[in-house]
Parts: sequence; C-alpha cells; structure tokens
Amino acid sequence: MNNDNHFEPHILAFLCNWCTYTGADLAGTSRLQYPPNVRVIRTMCSGAVDPVYVLKPLLDGADGVFIGGCHPGDCHYQTGNYKTRRRYVALTEILKAVGFDEQRVWLRWISASEGQKFAETMTEMVVAIKELGPNPMRTSWTV
Amino acid sequence: MNTMLPLQNGDPLITVRGFLRQLLETGVVEAIFLPLEVDGGATLPALVADPAWLDQADPLTPVMPINSARAVSALTNKHSPARLGVVLRPCEIRALIELVKLQQATLENVTLIGLDCPGTYEVAEYIEGKHAGRITLADYLEVAGDDRQPALVGPSLRPACQMCDQPVPEHVDIHLRLFGLGTDQAIPVTLSDEIAEKLGLSQVSQPAADGRQAVVDRLTAARRQVREKELAAIRERLDADGGLASLFATCIRCHNCMTVCPICYCKTCLFKTAAFDHPPEHYLIAARRRGAVRMLGDTLLFQLTRLNHMSASCVSCGMCTSACPADIPVGAIFSAVGAQVQAAFDYQPGRDVSDPLPLITFQANEWTQIGEEK
Repeated sequence: MNNDNHFEPHILAFLCNWCTYTGADLAGTSRLQYPPNVRVIRTMCSGAVDPVYVLKPLLDGADGVFIGGCHPGDCHYQTGNYKTRRRYVALTEILKAVGFDEQRVWLRWISASEGQKFAETMTEMVVAIKELGPNPMRTSWTV
Repeated sequence: MNTMLPLQNGDPLITVRGFLRQLLETGVVEAIFLPLEVDGGATLPALVADPAWLDQADPLTPVMPINSARAVSALTNKHSPARLGVVLRPCEIRALIELVKLQQATLENVTLIGLDCPGTYEVAEYIEGKHAGRITLADYLEVAGDDRQPALVGPSLRPACQMCDQPVPEHVDIHLRLFGLGTDQAIPVTLSDEIAEKLGLSQVSQPAADGRQAVVDRLTAARRQVREKELAAIRERLDADGGLASLFATCIRCHNCMTVCPICYCKTCLFKTAAFDHPPEHYLIAARRRGAVRMLGDTLLFQLTRLNHMSASCVSCGMCTSACPADIPVGAIFSAVGAQVQAAFDYQPGRDVSDPLPLITFQANEWTQIGEEK
C-alpha cells in the first residue's frame, strides 16, 4: 500500500462534537464525496485533543493528523478552540524543531453547517499528504 | 539598599554563614533552606531551624544535587507554614517562578536569597576534585574576576553551567553579589530596607557598579557564545534524517530526566500510569508491521510529550543532562527546542511571576491565519 506507485495516506481526524463532527455528518447526509483515507474520532471539543493524541499516531506511522474545531468565537465551551490554537502553535514549533514535518498536522475551523467545506478540506488534505509521501515513522523501528 | 558585609576571619564562607545566622536569630526568617555540608565532602540541600546548624552551611558550594525549586515547592506548596529564607541559584529561582505559576509553590512568606552563580560541578567530580585539592573556593569565586571559567584544570563545570547566560539572580529579596569580588574583600549585598533595618545594617556604598557589570557582561557574553554554539550543533543533529531518534538512540527510558526536572511536577504523569503497559501482542504486531521494533518502546513519545509539556517553561538548569545515565545531552536538546517554543510565544521562563504561562492563556485576536484555508 505504501509503495511509490500507489500511496494511500492514513489520516486520523479529531473532530469537535459541536461543529466539525456535525459538519462531517452533514457532508455524509448530503451525500458529498470525499476520499476514504480519513478515520474520524469524535471529541467533545478541539480543546480536548491532548497533543499526545497527535504525537502517538504520528510516531505510529499515521501520515496525517487533522484537528477540526468551531470557528474562533463559536466554541460551545466559549474558549476551548482558542486554547487549541495555542497548543497547535506549541506542538508545530516542537515538531519543526525536532525535524518532523509539521505539515502532517492540520488544524481547521469547520462549522456544523459547512458540510461542503469539510468534504473539500478532506480532499485537499489527502492530496497534500499524498504529495508529502508516506510518514517515514511508519517504517522506523527506533521510535 | 546596598551595603557591605565586612569579611570575618578573612573567609567569605564564614562571612556569609554569619549573615544567614543573623537572619535567623533576628527573626527575619524562622527557618532557612540552603546547602549543608555532609560527611564525605558533599553538600545537600536542607531546611535549618536551629542557627547552630549554620556552622555546616555552605551556600557557596559549587554543586547542585537537585534543582532546589522542587524543594521549595515541597516547603511552601499553597501556603508557606512560616517565614522561610531560601538560598537559591539563578536557575533555581527561575524554576521556582515557573512552579509558582503552575501553582506548585508560593513566594508569600518567602525571603528569596540569591547568589551570583559561577556555575556548578557534577557532584561526584566535585567531591573527587575537592579531595584531590584541585577545586578550591577561592579559585571558584574568582571565576569572573579575570574572565575565565573556574578551574578548567581539573573537572569542568556541568554542561548547562558552561552555557548559562543568566548567572545573576533576579527577583530576590537579598542579593549576595559575588561576581567581581576578590576573596579578601567585603561582600556587597543588596536587600530591602525593611530587612536591613531588622538586621541593623546601614547603607554602605559598594564598589563601583560598572566594574562588576563589566565582569558580568564578559562572563554572560562568553557563555552565550558557548550556548549558541551548543544549541546550533544540537539543531543540526535534529535536522538530520532521523535526528530525534538518533539523539535519543541510547535512551533507556529510566525517566531520570523527568524525575529531576523542576518543571515536571505532575502527580499523575501519563508515563507513570498503565497507559503504556501494552499487551505482549502489541509489540509483535508492531514488529511485523515495521520489520523490527525497539524495546522498550514509546521512547520518542515520552521525550516529545515531555517537550510538549515543559519546554515553554524550561529554565536550562540542565539537571536532566546530569541525571542521564546514557550521557544524552537532554538539557541542550530541551533548551534548543524550548528556545523556539518560547520565542513563538515571546515568553521567557522565570522572568516574572505575572507573565502568564503560554498554554493557559490566549488572546482572541492572535494567529488568526491558523485554522483558515491556505
């Protein structure tokens, strides 16, 4: 599956229950098509995504990790996504500093009404990750 | 207020002991935390309630068995039980300020006593050097006077100290100014008027400040150069293919770095739970998928998680390097990564108790491009 000719990325997506997960649901009920490379995990808030949830799959060889949350100002818990944003800054700084490709980690604000945007974003991410190629950690034994 | 401690018996150590005894006897503090000599030539941090014990005190000791911010956290927690004096090095003060922000210590009822810090040796090397007569206090104290690292013949300073560019304590109530000091001179002290009054000390002008400042600037500049060189070397290794894995290739996941880290305070650390007690099949599946798998696993996850949790607050005390049985330059790695995280948030750990920790605060109007389509 991960040979050069045909690489299908494995992408893990953490979606906030109130916005992006509902947006993904809307994409589904609207019968919008997007690549089936994404495995979704529903969280109550993007702010509940501990950075370790992102690090673990990356080290285990996931090709991309997506975090979806409500638009700034729209958090169901008022401020969760603002905290997500700072954690994302810290995490990507660390990934950059240690030589990981931080472009494998995406954070996007997608609301419950943006089913179309969800489908488009997933398509966009799969294309981008295909360009990056497989996560080298997938075959590294020294993690 | 600035004053001078006249030299007693021609010995700076006896002079400082006398000053600390005065703090305790006049009731400025009810107990004092500092390094005490133990048999065998080492020193250990201790809390002293009886002034008689101060005859064994060695606040000028050039070793740092622990980052004492952890001890001050244990001594104060949410409320300090008494008026405490604590003698700390600059990096310990910075760590303490981070612990206060993390609600693991308080500065209320605490008198911070800071010393200019020429640096510290590894404990075992210090004891050996002391017994062999290679390390002397006079030599150590004169460090900055003539622009050199202390005792470069004999053991060298801990790696973190060789590249420490913050050797002067900040935010202290009492500052013993050792830099630029001959061992045969009175010791300049800066302290609050209130404490000076209780001690019956009056203002005495100190030697010209610019002389000392020149010494501090020279030392800081020299060490900053070492720091930049060391961190650049680490960054180069991190940027190489498989950089992080190769730097931690010899990590045995003993967790010493975490245990000695003053910032890693969590009582329920993820890595002390059963979260990584995988069933045996886990390893076999991983080995089949990758061809081979490192045992015990989760090493990089441990290091990356720790970076993620504490690098914003890393004060570069280097206890992790000293504690590492595999001789990994953990402190330099964490300092290199930490510097980048700290720069992203314009955050300087230990600078001020009122600077909020980067990950517990936010502004609505920041990094507004993040999360939007590119």
